[in-house]
Amino acid sequence: MKKFVLKSVLYLGLILLALELLVRAFHLHADDPPKMIDEFGVEKRVPGSTGHYVKGNRRQHFTHFSINGSGFNSYREFEPSKDKYEVALVGDSFIEGFHQDYDNSLGKKIEDRLPKVEVFEYGYTGATMAYQMHLVDAYGNRFDKIDKVILYMKFKNDFDSRKHRADYELVRMLKTLPFRIRENCKLWVYGSNYGMTLPIKNVAGAIWQGLNFTRGIDKRGVAVPEIVVSSVAERIENFRKLITTYGWDTEKTMLLLDSRVTDGRFLDFCDENNIRYLDFSTAFQKAKAPVTLVYDKHWNDYGRELIAGVIADYLQKEVEP
Amino acid sequence: MLFNSVQFALFLPIAFLCYWGITQIRPKAQNLFLIGASYLFYAWWDWRFLGLIAFSTVVDYVVGQRIYVHLDDRRRAKAWLMLSVMANLGLLGFFKYYNFFVDSFVDGLQALGYTPESSYTLNIILPVGISFYTFQTLSYSFDIYYRRLKPTTNFVAFAAFVSFFPQLVAGPIERASNLLHQIERSRKFHYTQAADGLKLILWGLFKKLVIADSLAPMVDDIFAHYGTYPSSTLILGVVMFSFQVYGDFSGYSDIAIGTAKLFGIELMSNFRFPHFSRNVAEYWQRWHVSLSTWFRHYVYIPLGGSRVSKRRAVFNIAVVFLVSGLWHGANWTFVFWGGFHALLFIPVFLLKRNRIYMESVIGQNSFLPSVKEIGQVLLTFGLVTFSRIFFRSPTLTDAFGYIQGIFTDVRIAAYTHPVGYRMIDYYVLMLLFVVYEYRIRKNERNPFHFKSPVIRFVLYVLVIFAMLLFYDDGVNRSFIYFQF
Repeated sequence: MKKFVLKSVLYLGLILLALELLVRAFHLHADDPPKMIDEFGVEKRVPGSTGHYVKGNRRQHFTHFSINGSGFNSYREFEPSKDKYEVALVGDSFIEGFHQDYDNSLGKKIEDRLPKVEVFEYGYTGATMAYQMHLVDAYGNRFDKIDKVILYMKFKNDFDSRKHRADYELVRMLKTLPFRIRENCKLWVYGSNYGMTLPIKNVAGAIWQGLNFTRGIDKRGVAVPEIVVSSVAERIENFRKLITTYGWDTEKTMLLLDSRVTDGRFLDFCDENNIRYLDFSTAFQKAKAPVTLVYDKHWNDYGRELIAGVIADYLQKEVEP
Repeated sequence: MLFNSVQFALFLPIAFLCYWGITQIRPKAQNLFLIGASYLFYAWWDWRFLGLIAFSTVVDYVVGQRIYVHLDDRRRAKAWLMLSVMANLGLLGFFKYYNFFVDSFVDGLQALGYTPESSYTLNIILPVGISFYTFQTLSYSFDIYYRRLKPTTNFVAFAAFVSFFPQLVAGPIERASNLLHQIERSRKFHYTQAADGLKLILWGLFKKLVIADSLAPMVDDIFAHYGTYPSSTLILGVVMFSFQVYGDFSGYSDIAIGTAKLFGIELMSNFRFPHFSRNVAEYWQRWHVSLSTWFRHYVYIPLGGSRVSKRRAVFNIAVVFLVSGLWHGANWTFVFWGGFHALLFIPVFLLKRNRIYMESVIGQNSFLPSVKEIGQVLLTFGLVTFSRIFFRSPTLTDAFGYIQGIFTDVRIAAYTHPVGYRMIDYYVLMLLFVVYEYRIRKNERNPFHFKSPVIRFVLYVLVIFAMLLFYDDGVNRSFIYFQF
């Protein structure tokens, strides 16, 4: 009996080790470049990080990323100057673009169409409109030299707050030992990406709750306040507040959106306040193939081509011949 | 509690350690512990139906005693036997078939031009495993009635026999002569037995998580939209369903047998590589063996079996297959499925080829099967797979629509996964599975039977690695046979 238990534990350990090696050897796990918050309160990635983004258990989608000196995923460094035409693309994971090779990004596709233009992609996963406007404001010195600023937005997700607050707690937590161990256990990272560890976490959570209950710390009755921003009016009001806080250069700054998933009242608000936007919905509607990836909903190569076309067509008129 | 859940992954080692821990202190408490663990296992799904198991246990325990007392008075013994039959089939009839018979009756009336004013169907939940444990307890009463078995006087052992959790909800349907006798004796821990149990659990999990669960989304998609697909896709769909249902149910059985081994108990084999069968008779000696033998012993032989006129024997075979079909589910599709198998089996029986492959396996004395064997296996697999259109379709209309699609829209077109995954992965997976199953075809109880410990270890790792590679958190993880 003792021999059986000991041998089972030994085998389990060896099997886990072998699986860790296999996951690393076939590079099945996605890398997550470390996060940081700079002196301007802007969350970004640690400069110089490189790695791979993977989607699908069997590595069906595999791309490379490279974090530049400014802390954003891009093949180029961001060095704005007065003598070139520069565009800043600001947004969330769609702009950050881990799902594409960093040298085949939306910005690169725009540059391929307009050789005189340089595109700086300030993308950060989960970035809301508050984050984006804070970034533009915080990097004012650099953005003064940039000719055009395009903020990518999704109406449902991006207008939940009136002011940006950098999540120092999260960045600090990610640097703690348990998280560093977790990050270095690629088998766990791989399992987490595809929901394999979720049942384990659920059971562990239930046991933990049960322990708290037996210790007399029952939190079941405590109501957790939900932050629900459901009304369109509230979102628009948030945007108005953001404009008041961070300002809005109507000549230089514009939104990039899909009007099919944007409330008409928001578009009316933009029109009334001279906030310009680029709408790529028509291009997507006319698409002859899927515009998003199979394994997640980010734009695929074709989708990015279409959006690059929309942006380039607009910029063509602005860039000096 | 599903075998493929984290809850079971926690439950099993705790139960295992407590069980053998108790054994060292008080061996007689083994069965009490098994009852507690089994009832907890079942209650995890729905505690309200524990009463049914307890009811079935008490009835058959008492009936078994009474039959034995009146064995010389066949009329009274039969009366007691009928009580067991009525109690068990009454439970089964109410929970599983009540709505089916009411609906069928109403449909019949409507066909005659009479429409009842109100519906008499009930909103009944089917207690999981009811088809399995009622048949198990019934077999106990039958065996006493036919003088094959003496009733036990140990109620605790009998309760443990009925509720033994590894095989409670989906078999194998054990006979008292095998399982009860083991439970009546005190078990001792054997290293080899426990290690073999773990290997079977691992192989069963592979069949369930990798083969069955990864093919399920495609099977569901093709059967749900059969009207839009060409014949090549429809054939692919039902072939994949063959792999799915085999992986699902034989995987479950392997886990059940492996789990029982951990507790020092040997259950009967339920699947012996049925898809390598050379005719339909051999298939039924290899597929769901515990159910096939149950019907042979308690339906076919009491009806006269094959020791009657040819016409009567053919009738007996037809009855067994139709009843077996109905056992699977309260739906005419299953009756059709059973009837179709009867049609496949009867010619084999009449040609006296139903017992020729009982002692051998494909490629018995050679590394590769002969061309003739490959042809036989492909034909049998094709026929059995075709029958599964009835097994899988929700209604007869759907089943015939599916078949019509195969024969009318004859085209070859590439099928794309509903989520967009690479299809080649699944084709390679199925091919490797067939090759490996062929490699181990002579011993279903030891899927990792290799002398070299290094090869065995590599196989363990690869099997678990495949589970990771084909894990899909969007799949319904329940076992197909739970619905029966």
